[in-house]
Amino acid sequence: MSARLALGLAALAAAAAAPLVAGQHLLTAFIVALHAAYMALAWNVAAGYAGQFSLGHSLFYGIGAYASTMLYLKLGLTPWAGMFAGAVLAGLVGVALALGVYRYNVRGIFFALVTLGAAEVAKGLADNWDWIKGPVGILLTMKNAPGEFFFLRREPYYYVALAMVVAMILISLRLERSRLGQYFLAVREDEAAAEASGVDTHRAKTVAIGLSAALTAFAGSFYAQFYLYISPDTVLVFEPQLTMMLGTMVGGAGTALGPVLGSVLFSGLGEALRNLPFENTRQVVIGSKLVYAILLIVILIYLPGGLITLGRRSRRA
Amino acid sequence: MSALLSVRGVAKRFGGLQALSNVTFGVGDREIVGVIGPNGAGKTTLFNVITGVYAPDSGRVTLRGMDVTGWAPHRICRLGAARTFQIGKPFAALTVLQTVRIGSLNRIADMAGATTHALGVLEQVGLAAKRDVEGRHLTVIERKRLELARALATGPSLLLLDEVAAGLRPPEIQEMIALVRRIAAGGVSVLIIEHVLEAVMRLSARIVVLNYGEVIAEGSPESLVNDPRVIEAYLGEAYSLA
Repeated sequence: MSARLALGLAALAAAAAAPLVAGQHLLTAFIVALHAAYMALAWNVAAGYAGQFSLGHSLFYGIGAYASTMLYLKLGLTPWAGMFAGAVLAGLVGVALALGVYRYNVRGIFFALVTLGAAEVAKGLADNWDWIKGPVGILLTMKNAPGEFFFLRREPYYYVALAMVVAMILISLRLERSRLGQYFLAVREDEAAAEASGVDTHRAKTVAIGLSAALTAFAGSFYAQFYLYISPDTVLVFEPQLTMMLGTMVGGAGTALGPVLGSVLFSGLGEALRNLPFENTRQVVIGSKLVYAILLIVILIYLPGGLITLGRRSRRA
Repeated sequence: MSALLSVRGVAKRFGGLQALSNVTFGVGDREIVGVIGPNGAGKTTLFNVITGVYAPDSGRVTLRGMDVTGWAPHRICRLGAARTFQIGKPFAALTVLQTVRIGSLNRIADMAGATTHALGVLEQVGLAAKRDVEGRHLTVIERKRLELARALATGPSLLLLDEVAAGLRPPEIQEMIALVRRIAAGGVSVLIIEHVLEAVMRLSARIVVLNYGEVIAEGSPESLVNDPRVIEAYLGEAYSLA
């Protein structure tokens, strides 16, 4: 245990020192990777631990992005606070969605489809909502205002993203050691046996979705502050959901480090593919999607528990 | 008789099948009651109604003086009735200790306390050596013991055992009988469905016989083996000669 703690602290120290040696371009790649890792960990709370395979987490991501941005533009509320408001809102939407879905005993693949549909509906609504500028999207002005979560340089964004990932890992580890986390696992494994063990499965599933939704919203707010532009086509599409799933499934669902591992791998791969001699952007997009798909299939076939199980296997051997 | 569990006039229909009709019986404090009957007699449906998996179409179920008809299974578990599943439902990816600890968390909120409690239960059912084995790697008898441990860990006053001896070899059946006796001696009432007649006859003070969803007889094991209705429905000619 202390060896693992030492390893963790060494990794943290290395991550904290990275901006000292990395250029702006590489730093951007690191931020993208950390952002992906955070999202994956947030989705993992519901999908990995509690087995609630939501395909609609882009909805919560979008709520986070729009909530902090609108509160800032309309009320002048700093996004540092606005992101918490977004989390509360996303959590409430998640709980409402869960209550509706579980009320009718929608499970498994049907649960996944309903959540996917909910995100699609949200995108349709956002596209037609003038107050949030519909499909045009919202542009934030670049400026130096640390108190309002705006920075001119990349380093502060990097440290915010790193802090979010570290916090999310600690939340995951804490969850694993709590009664709530154990109830999540029981629900994932077998709902009838969980009920027979005294677990209120409806409540556990609702809490899992609400918590995961709230945590996901922070990633949306971060996206808005980092890219300074949000629209239904960037934050309410399937893309964020795909990022969460790829990282989690490849790294190892239901673990605190697997999603980080998978996300960093995929982000690094994306970066490497961009440097291949493609002729235009379209080829880059299609080419990298092909590579992602092949890699995903190979890993899911040969390592169904994700990359994290490689370490466990070697330890057992 | 102080009724820990009381089932009154319970009926349950699945489409065209009347799985249970007008079932009435009770289990007292510190009592071991058996339920026997041929396949499809409604034994497991009865368990599912008592533990809240199904709400009955009519009739009432009372546990510890509370009307629990239509309650969710986890609430009935928390009130004090824990069941095992006929076809074991181990948490495949969780270890034996994790699985049983989830049951212990029912009464003990902190993880350390629940872990200690779960280890004690594993010791009691003879699974302590398997504490770190994942559910999917367990043998049939280990799964039966795990079912029992998980149910026991929730701290029940009534334990409902669904065929815990079925599929076991004779020496294992003896072990299981001794184990259930020890649990009952600790003050837990037991309602037991069993196809292994030796087990149910030796364990139960009283037996309820179900056939086509109806209670056709009730009494001590000795009285039932000579009851012509029971012989015809279930035991068969051979048993009456024995």
